[in-house]
Amino acid sequence: MSSFFSRIKSGAPPLSPATGSIPVKKDPHAPEATPLEKLLVNAGPLRSDGSDKFFGFENVSAAAYCNSIVQCLYYSVPFREQVINFPARSPPEALERPASSPLKLNTNLPNDQHAALSPTGRTSLSSPNGKAPAKPVTTPGATNPPGTKAEDNKDSPEYKKKQALAAGPVLQMDYENANAYGMNESLFSSLKDIFEAVIAHRSRIGVVSPHKLLEILRRDNEMFRTPMHQDAHEFLNLLLNEVVENVEQFSKTRLTDADPKEMNGTTITSGEMVPVQNSAASTKSNAGWVHGLFEGTLTSETRCLTCENTSHRDEAFLDLSVDLEQHSSVTSCLRKFSEEEMLCERNKFHCDNCGGLQEAEKRMKIKRLPKILALHLKRFKYTEDLQRLQKLFHRVVYPFYLRLFNTTDDAEDPDRLYELYAVVVHIGGGPYHGHYVSIIKTQDRGWLLFDDEMVEPVDKAYVRNFFGGEGVLACAYVLFYQETTEEAMMQEQEADALAAAEQAAKMTQEAVTTPKPNGANGHAFHAFHNATTPTIEEADKFASLDHAATAPPLAHTESNTDHAVEHTTTNVPVLAARKSNMGLFAKVKEDREHKAQQKELEKAARQKRKEMETQRRENYRKQEEELRLALEASKASAAEEHQRRLASGETATPPLPPPVGAGGGDHKLANGFGSVKGMSGLSRFRHTSMSLRAKPKFWSKDKDDGGSEDQSPAATTTTAGTGDEVPDAKNRFSIGRKKSTFKF
Amino acid sequence: MFVLPPPPRYPVGGYPGAQPGQLIETNNSITHPAGPEYQLVVGEGTYVLRDDLHLATPPPHPSEAPTHNPNPLATTLSPPTCGTKLSLVALAPRQPSQSQLHRFGTRTSTRSPLPPSIQESPHETNSQASDVGSHGANGIASSPLDGLRTPVFGEGNAALAAVNGKDTKDALKRRKPKSNIVKSNSSFVSRVIPHETLTKRLQDHNPNGLYAFANVNRAFQWLDLTSPTKEEHLTKILFTKAHALCHDINQITKGPNHLDIIMGFSTGDMIWYEPMSQKYARINKNGVINATAVCDIRWLPNSENLFLAAHMDGSLIVYDKEKEDAVFVPEEAVSAMEDGISEGEKKVQSLLTIKKSVNSKNQKMNPVSYWQVSRSKVSAFEFSPDRRHLAVVSEDGSFRIIDFLNEKLRHHFMSYYGGMMCVCWSPDGRYIVTGGQDDLVSIWSLEDSMLVARCQGHNSWVTAVQFDPWRCDERNYRIGSVGEDCRLLLWDFSVGMLHRPRAASVRQRGSIASSNLKMQRTQTGSSVNRLRSNSNLTSGSTLDEEEVVHPVEPRARTAMLPPVLAKSVHESPLCWLGFEEDCILTSCKNGHIRTWDRPKEGSSNDDSSTHASNL
Repeated sequence: MSSFFSRIKSGAPPLSPATGSIPVKKDPHAPEATPLEKLLVNAGPLRSDGSDKFFGFENVSAAAYCNSIVQCLYYSVPFREQVINFPARSPPEALERPASSPLKLNTNLPNDQHAALSPTGRTSLSSPNGKAPAKPVTTPGATNPPGTKAEDNKDSPEYKKKQALAAGPVLQMDYENANAYGMNESLFSSLKDIFEAVIAHRSRIGVVSPHKLLEILRRDNEMFRTPMHQDAHEFLNLLLNEVVENVEQFSKTRLTDADPKEMNGTTITSGEMVPVQNSAASTKSNAGWVHGLFEGTLTSETRCLTCENTSHRDEAFLDLSVDLEQHSSVTSCLRKFSEEEMLCERNKFHCDNCGGLQEAEKRMKIKRLPKILALHLKRFKYTEDLQRLQKLFHRVVYPFYLRLFNTTDDAEDPDRLYELYAVVVHIGGGPYHGHYVSIIKTQDRGWLLFDDEMVEPVDKAYVRNFFGGEGVLACAYVLFYQETTEEAMMQEQEADALAAAEQAAKMTQEAVTTPKPNGANGHAFHAFHNATTPTIEEADKFASLDHAATAPPLAHTESNTDHAVEHTTTNVPVLAARKSNMGLFAKVKEDREHKAQQKELEKAARQKRKEMETQRRENYRKQEEELRLALEASKASAAEEHQRRLASGETATPPLPPPVGAGGGDHKLANGFGSVKGMSGLSRFRHTSMSLRAKPKFWSKDKDDGGSEDQSPAATTTTAGTGDEVPDAKNRFSIGRKKSTFKF
Repeated sequence: MFVLPPPPRYPVGGYPGAQPGQLIETNNSITHPAGPEYQLVVGEGTYVLRDDLHLATPPPHPSEAPTHNPNPLATTLSPPTCGTKLSLVALAPRQPSQSQLHRFGTRTSTRSPLPPSIQESPHETNSQASDVGSHGANGIASSPLDGLRTPVFGEGNAALAAVNGKDTKDALKRRKPKSNIVKSNSSFVSRVIPHETLTKRLQDHNPNGLYAFANVNRAFQWLDLTSPTKEEHLTKILFTKAHALCHDINQITKGPNHLDIIMGFSTGDMIWYEPMSQKYARINKNGVINATAVCDIRWLPNSENLFLAAHMDGSLIVYDKEKEDAVFVPEEAVSAMEDGISEGEKKVQSLLTIKKSVNSKNQKMNPVSYWQVSRSKVSAFEFSPDRRHLAVVSEDGSFRIIDFLNEKLRHHFMSYYGGMMCVCWSPDGRYIVTGGQDDLVSIWSLEDSMLVARCQGHNSWVTAVQFDPWRCDERNYRIGSVGEDCRLLLWDFSVGMLHRPRAASVRQRGSIASSNLKMQRTQTGSSVNRLRSNSNLTSGSTLDEEEVVHPVEPRARTAMLPPVLAKSVHESPLCWLGFEEDCILTSCKNGHIRTWDRPKEGSSNDDSSTHASNL
C-alpha cells in the first residue's frame, strides 16, 4: 500500500508536466486539441484513485454494450474503490502492465509522432472484428456530400474515434494478473486488470482494448459469443452476478482452506501475498461489497383473497427492470412496478393457509434500498404478432434526483435521495442492432459522453436528450442512480452556480472587452475560461492551482466582473450615480423616515407571525406530549399483556394483526416459502434481476455450488422456477425472469 | 441462431415515426371531436370538449438551415423551447368571479386567525381573471397581515418615481411602442400576417369575449376565442429565429384600443407589443442585459410599465418597457452590508442576491432591478394576489417566496426531489401549489410556512398547475394540473382536511396487543413528532423570520391527496392550463388548444357530496 503511494508520489512530479499539459501543436496538420483535452488542461497532479482518468474503450467486435457498462461501473466511486482494493490493493510492481515499452514512448511524444506510431499499435488489435462495426457507419449523405467518407468529417464520431485511437495510448488488455490477485481468472479479475491499468497509467486520456474481459465473457457465456448485438442490461446483470460470485468464491476459499497448496500457486508470481493472507478474515467480512452497493431487497406481499392472509417473501435484487408506458416518468414506472396485481385464472396463488390455488393480490415493494440503484427500462418488448422483440420508443422522462415511493412502511430511510450519475443509451431502431454509449457524471469533470474510443465533455442539459419519443433513436436504456444527501445536492448546486457565474463573468467580459483595443490580457484570461468552464460542475473540489488563484467562490464573480469594469471606458453606472447624488441628500432623510416606518410595520407583522408560529409550535408540542403519553400507555398495556400471556403459558394464539419479526418471523418465513412454490411456476421474476442467491441455473453453469447460502429456500425455488423456463430459452433474449413477455 | 448483418449504427431519418419537417405555411384548423373519451366526469358534472384548435406549426425560416442532425448523439444543444402557452384577456371589466363561487356565504374560517378571505384577485394565474374594476370595491389592497395599503414596487425610490411620474401625465392616452411591426425591417421579425378583415373582426368582437395570444414554435398568434371563425388568427407574427417562450398581458392598461403585451424569447430578447396598433419595441435587445432565454415573464401587479422576467441563468430582472437598455454591471449591495450580518443571514442572502436593487439611484436605464435567485433555470414565478409576495420555482428544485417589495427572501423550500416546473397562488393568497419533476403537486401554506399536502396522481412531470377560482371558496379549493403524461388532473382540498396525519398503515412490530387505531396512530405520531422537533432544532430554534430555509418533509409526515379526476386529454404532453368562467382550456406541445365546457347548470350535482366523498 504505502509503497504504491510513495511510488506515485515520487513518480508524479516529473511525469505530470508531460501528461498534465497537452503539448501545444504548431503543426497545422496536427489535430486540434479535443474538447476533452481542453477540459483537462489544468488538471494538476495525477490522483491515485483513478477519478481523473478518462479512457475510451475500443470497440472490439461490436462490444459497445460492454464498453458502456464498464464505464458506468468505473465511474461509480465506491465500486471502483472496491474493485481496486479487493482482495487487497495490489502492489503495482506485482502486476503486469499493458505492453508498456512502446506506449510509454507514445505518451511522451508529441502528437504527430503519435500518428506515426499508432498504426503499429493498431495493427496489433484484433481488427477483423473490431473494424467491422465501424465501417457501415456512414453518417447519412445529408451532411456528407456523396463520395466523402464519414471518417473524413471532423465532427463525426467516427473521425473522433479514429483520432482517439491514433492519439493513444492504447492499453492492450490481453493479459491477466489473476494470479497476482490470488484469484482464478474471471470476469472480476479482468475487470480489475482494466481498472488497475487505467489508474496506473500516467496519461489521463487514452483507449482501453478490453480483449481479455471479452474473451472470458465469451468463453463462459455462450450467448455473448456471437458477434450479434447484445443487450447491455443483460451484460450488466451478468457482470455483477459474476463479480459477486468471484468475490465470494475467493473469500470462501480464503477462509475455509488457507492451505499452503493454494498459496503456493499464488506466491509464485509475487512474493507480496502476505497482506492478502493476513487480511483473509477481513476480506471475508468485506466480500459482500457488491451486495452492499447494488443489492436491495424487494418484499412481495401476497394477500390471499380467500383467507385474507398476507404472506411476505423477500428477494434480493441487483437492479430493477421496469415496464414502460408512453409519456411517463421513471417515478411513475417505479410506482407501477409496485402496484397491486391480481393473481387469478392461470396465475393463481398457492396459499398455504387455505391450502390450494387461490386468487390473490400481490405487490412488490422495496424493503431495503440499494446504495446504487440500477434501473433497467424495458425498451425491448416481445410483440406477439411480429413474433419478435421490438424496441419501445416511449418517452420516459428521468429526473436528476430521485426518491422511491414504493418502499415498505418499515423500510429504513425510505426518503433516501438518489442522484443520477450515469445513463446507458441505446441507439437504434430495434433490439437486434444498434449501438450503446454512456453518459456519466464524473467526480469533478461534469458530464462526459463515452462513445467507445471517444470521450467528450457534454453539457448537463445533454443528459436530458435521451428521454425517447417517436422517431428518437437514442433513448436511455439503463439509468444508474446513486445514493446522495441533500447537503451534497446543495453543494453541487452551489458548485454549478460557481461554474455558471464563471461563465457569466466570461460572458460579461466578452461583452465588455470587445471594444478594448489591446485585449492581450483579456484574451489570456479568456482562453483559460474557455478551456475550463463549460462543464466543470464541482470546480471547487478540484485542487487545481488555477482555480485556487481565483479562490473565494462568491467573491469570484464580482471580482471577475469588477475587473472587467475597470477596463471599460464607458463607465455608465458611476457617472449616473454621481449625477443623482445632487438630489440625494435631501432624499436620504425622507428615505430613512420611510424606512423606519416600514420597519415598524414589518416588526408588527413579524410579531404577529411570530405569535402564530409560537402558537403552532405550541400545538405541535401539545400533540407530541399527548402522543407520548399515549405511547407510554400503550407500552404499559403491552407489557401487561405480555405478562398476562406469560402467565397463560403462551398457549394463546398471537393477537390479531400478526406481527412481523420476533416470534412471528419464523412463521412468516415458512409461509413465504410455501407461497414461493406456487409463485415460482408463475415465473414472477420479470421485475428484477436476481442477485446470486436467486440466480438461475442457466447462467451459473456448474459453479453454482452455493449450498451454504443463508437464504437457500428462496434460492432453490427460484432456480426451480427458471429451470422451467430454460426449455423455451432458445432465443437469446428469453432469460425468463426479465423478458416475461415471452410467457404470456 | 440467425445472424443478421451488422446494421448501420446511426440509422438515418427513415424511422417510420419520424415526421418530415413541414415546409409550407399552413392554416390553423379546428375539429370538434365528440364522444365519451372527450368528456371529463367530475362530481359537479361533466365537462365536454367544445373544440380542438390546432395551431399550425410554421415551417423553419428560410435562412435557418433545417437543423436536423442525423447523429443522435450530436452534442450541439438545441435552443430552449416550450409548447403552446396562452395569455387570455377580456376587454370588458368583468364581474368579480367571486359571485360565482359556490357556498360563498360561509364566512367562518375554522383555523385561521387571519381576516377571512381576501377576494379574488384579478392578477392571479395567467392574468385570466381580469377585472380591473373590482380593485377598490373588493378591497384587495388590504393585505392579510397588516391591513395597510399595498405599497407599490419601488415606491420609496425617488429616482424611479420621477420617471414614472412623467409617464403618467397623459394617463388617458396610453403610450404605444415606437416601431411598426408590419413595416419593420428588423431581422428579428420575419413576417407579420394580419387577417384580411382585421378591423372588421375587431369591431365585431364582443367586449366580454376572450382574446388569446398563443405561441407556437416561432409564430405568435392573436386569436379571438369567441369569434365564430376562431381558428382564423387576427394577426400572426413569425419571428426569424427566436421562439417566444412566455408572454403576458397588462391588465391595468388594457382597453378597447390598447393592449400591452410583453413576450420573452429563447434568445433572451423581449418584445413589448401592442397588437391594436401593430407597434412594438425591443427590450434587452440581443441579450445586452442578460443573454439567456426568458423562461417566464409577467407585468408587475398594478404597474403600467414594469415587468419581471425570469431568465434561464436564474436571474429575475425587472425591466421598464419605456427605458433603454444599458449593459448591466452588478451594483454593490451597500445597504445590506451596513449592519453586521450573521452567517445564517449570509446564507439566506446567497439564496437571493440583489445585484441591483429597486432602490438604486441609477434608474435612467434598464434594468430597474436585478436579482439572482438561483443558478439554474427559473421555471416559473407568480405574484401573490395581495401583490406583496412572489413565488419562484426553479429547476434545482427550490421554491422561494420573496417579499419583492422589500427584496427579501421569506421562505426557501425544496421539492421532494427533482426540479420544480410550475407554481400558482390560491385566489385568497393563503396557499401556493407547485408542480415538478417528482410527479407531485405540492400544496404549501403561506401563513404556516410549511408543506401541507402532496398530491400524487400524475404519471410524469407536472408542467402547469392552476387554481380554479370559480370553484374555490374560503374552505375548499379546486386545483387543476397538467403534465408530461398528457393528462389533466383535478384535485379538491379543503382546509379542514389538511394537517390530518396520514392514515398510515404502519405494520406493527413487536407485540402491541391492542389493535385499536389509536395505538397505531400513536406510533406514527410519535415518529412524526420526533422528526419534526429535530427539524426545529436544526433550522432555527428562535422563532424568528430567520427560519427561512426549510428542509424537505419526509413522505411519512405529509398528507397525500388523491385526484378527483385524472384523464388523458391530449395526444402529446400538456404544457398549459387555464380556467375560465365557462370552460377549462388546455394546450399541448404540438399546438393543440382544447376547450372544455363546464357542466351545464341543470346537470350539476350537489357538490358538497362530492367534497364529502373525496375528502
